[in-house]
Amino acid sequence: MSDDMDDILQVFYQECDEQLQELERGLAVLADGESGQETINAVFRAVHSIKGGAASFGLDNLVRFAHVFESSLDGLRSGRVVPTPDVVKTFLKAMDVLSDLVTEAREGTPVDPARIAESQVELEAIISTGGAASAQADIIPQDFVPVPMDFEPVPMDFEPVPVAFEPVPVAFEPVPVDFDFGADTQAEPATGCLVVTFRPHDALYERGDDARNMLNGLADLAAGVPGGHMTTTCDFSALPVFEAVDPLKSYLAWRVVLPPEVTEDSVTAVFDWVSDACDVTTTREDGAQANPAAALLDEEPHAQAPAVPAPTVPDNVVQDSAPVTAARDVVAEHAHPTEPASPVASTAAPVSQDVHAAGGAHPHPAAAGGAARKTEQQASIRVDLHRIDGLMDLVGELVIAQAAIESLSRRTDPAAAQELMQGIGSMQSLTRDIQDAVMAVRAQPVRGVFQRMQRVVREACSMTKKDVVLTLEGEDTEVDRTLVEKLTDPLTHMLRNAVDHGIEKVEDRLAAGKPAQGHILLSAGHRSGRILITIKDDGAGINRQRVLETAIKRGIVAPDAQLTDDEINNLIFAPGFSTAATVSDLSGRGVGMDVVKQAILSLGGRVAIQSVPGEGTTFSLSLPLTLAVLDGMLIAAGGSTMVIPISSVVEAMMIDQRDVYVLPDGGNVISIRGSCMPFIPLAAALGLAQKPSDEDIREAVILVVENESGGRAALVVDEIRDQTQVVIKSIEKNYRQIEGVSAATILGDGSVSLILDVSALIAATVGRMDKALDPRRGMAA
Amino acid sequence: MTEKTEGTDSRLVKMIVFAVGEQEYCIPILSVREIRGFEKTTALPFAPHYVCGAINLRGVILTVIDLAVYLNIQPLADNPRRVVIIVESKNDTVCGLLVDRVIDMADIDLGDIQSVSEEGGSLNGLVLVNQRMIGVLRLETIVGQLVGDTVAE
Repeated sequence: MSDDMDDILQVFYQECDEQLQELERGLAVLADGESGQETINAVFRAVHSIKGGAASFGLDNLVRFAHVFESSLDGLRSGRVVPTPDVVKTFLKAMDVLSDLVTEAREGTPVDPARIAESQVELEAIISTGGAASAQADIIPQDFVPVPMDFEPVPMDFEPVPVAFEPVPVAFEPVPVDFDFGADTQAEPATGCLVVTFRPHDALYERGDDARNMLNGLADLAAGVPGGHMTTTCDFSALPVFEAVDPLKSYLAWRVVLPPEVTEDSVTAVFDWVSDACDVTTTREDGAQANPAAALLDEEPHAQAPAVPAPTVPDNVVQDSAPVTAARDVVAEHAHPTEPASPVASTAAPVSQDVHAAGGAHPHPAAAGGAARKTEQQASIRVDLHRIDGLMDLVGELVIAQAAIESLSRRTDPAAAQELMQGIGSMQSLTRDIQDAVMAVRAQPVRGVFQRMQRVVREACSMTKKDVVLTLEGEDTEVDRTLVEKLTDPLTHMLRNAVDHGIEKVEDRLAAGKPAQGHILLSAGHRSGRILITIKDDGAGINRQRVLETAIKRGIVAPDAQLTDDEINNLIFAPGFSTAATVSDLSGRGVGMDVVKQAILSLGGRVAIQSVPGEGTTFSLSLPLTLAVLDGMLIAAGGSTMVIPISSVVEAMMIDQRDVYVLPDGGNVISIRGSCMPFIPLAAALGLAQKPSDEDIREAVILVVENESGGRAALVVDEIRDQTQVVIKSIEKNYRQIEGVSAATILGDGSVSLILDVSALIAATVGRMDKALDPRRGMAA
Repeated sequence: MTEKTEGTDSRLVKMIVFAVGEQEYCIPILSVREIRGFEKTTALPFAPHYVCGAINLRGVILTVIDLAVYLNIQPLADNPRRVVIIVESKNDTVCGLLVDRVIDMADIDLGDIQSVSEEGGSLNGLVLVNQRMIGVLRLETIVGQLVGDTVAE
């Protein structure tokens, strides 16, 4: 049973997560100064639901705190407390404690009691300012009434559990309750006993009759004989495993041994009304002749079973031969239980096990099973129904399209080829739609992660004694689920950094003529097939002088290095770099930004920094929409077919030799409609071929490609072959990272093709990353 | 059968013996996933010279090492019997070894292996089987080099 409890607990925790999100959203609205009754109610409901659920699981810590929290919110709801910024701040703090308490209940990581107490004191202060001493008094009884209401979803969800169990006692009731069997089965059959086998058909139950009636009738016959005794054995052999049981089917059969005095005719009379709805055989146990059958039934079967001789069919079979064979079948089937004295016990045991498994909704009641399920549940997602429906429709269309292609392929006339091509075309677009639909199922808004960042900032503020507001934008932007999960850590690091290093101390801000409250904007949006997440603070900007000094001190760059502003900015991503004079709790261990960059890179993303002294710093994370599929342009270079992501291709054109200029260092630039950009012979850049001759170049095609920050370059390729969707496959799993290559894919012919990393190619050629490629700078370099 | 042998005497290991050029080598049969014909590979940029390129093994991309180049042996010219042995090393990295031909299998007693290189070399040692000198390769080293040494940035 504790297993079921675990299940329900898991659901409770999931609900807690949702309620906490709801709470966070509501409090964020309140913090913005909008105090609609709706919002307040939502906030109240969230805390209340958590409390209600926690109470039913006996999570005392959680209940106690949630109760105080709820009481203080009640003041808000009744209008006694005004949601001033201070009050909201207290609530936010309380929410953090509440969420920690939920985590404590779930994972057992204890919460600092001092924090709970502190928050509790603050909440109680609100309750008392809410006036109404009555608040304290009347809250308690009033509160617990709605608990079962709010938590309705939980028992509802699990209704199947108790229901599933119910059939168990019902189905087996007849066996132990109604019949007295087994006591002397070993001793029977006495010679001359009347053996009745009775197998009801489905029809018997369908017409509302009950096997019990027949058996009671037989029992009456036995009782009519002085000292008469009836022995009943139930045959379970036709009973399937519990999951497969059809409640409308008849699975059981009985074998009844009646005293010798009972006549065949009286037995026939009992079954008179139902003879068409059941198989009944009546056999007189008649000395030696009948014994083999009896032995089959009641003794260890394995010895006798193979020796069933045809002539053992007793002579005095009452009914026609068909039921006889049926009876023999029953006999043969019945031969399964090895201990006739306790057929029910032995059969019932495995059945009840099955039932338990089905009812518990989990086949492994052991603790290990519980752990497995835990991870399973964490990996579940909630998807809007209409998305699933849309996917379903598409799959339906796909089936039709496939059937159409199949029928077309059987036709031989010339027109069929044309139509076949069309069919394949529509199949293609369907495949693409399905893929989009599946992606949409996997997509999740970044809201969850973003809202968690509010807390990160709040905590960072309280540690650094700074006052910072985090504004969220584009929380509804949808990102692939795996990306959402992997974004949490990098964003946490970056926001902590923004508060710790980005935003100045209050005195400094005031001295610089800025508002005392710092401001960070976290926004997400789609931009040319990628997700762009920016973290923008209005702090002091990167102190390049200090960054450079530190980098030199740490030996990251040579003392005489001449670096551009961008290069200095990027130094903060260098491993082992930290400018914080003192290592603070929050950041300053010198691992943060390096780890952030690695995390983002491993997601196929990129980080760019823009920083204006005195005005602030902006970090831009650019991430791929999905981790699975990419629209690519197939090109040939150096004898290989490669894929360039369509999103980074700006245009394609033939080369006009006169536009290509040679730089003093041997590199080339090309001028396209007046703007100069680096000229990258692809095969040579990848080390697959020698630098092309002028002759080769004349034949080649150039692709103008662009990186995230808008820097352009002209890639020289041999030819453009196709445009297609490709499935991204990792090379790094079995190999290493290749510069200029982000991943690989498998083409239609089964060969491997490399997917190019345009930004890395540009960076490798120009020697600088993510920079608006000003050709004058390029030449100077 | 193999398990039984290992159970009774753990020092006896079944090895697959193959030839690269004129020289014979072997690796434990349990690390072999399958043996395939050699097909066209896709060249990889900045790859070590002994890497032929990448192939597609039922949706998984893996690299093929030309053992002749790796071991600095003259390969047989124009050999149609060249095969790729797909091996899986202990850390789950899968790669292909291009060899000239697979010869047979042999039970090799680990005690019979005469060590020729220090720890970490690609050749574990030499062993005599039917008067033939067979090199025992250390897969971890070969595969580790493939994954491990990153290209200088």
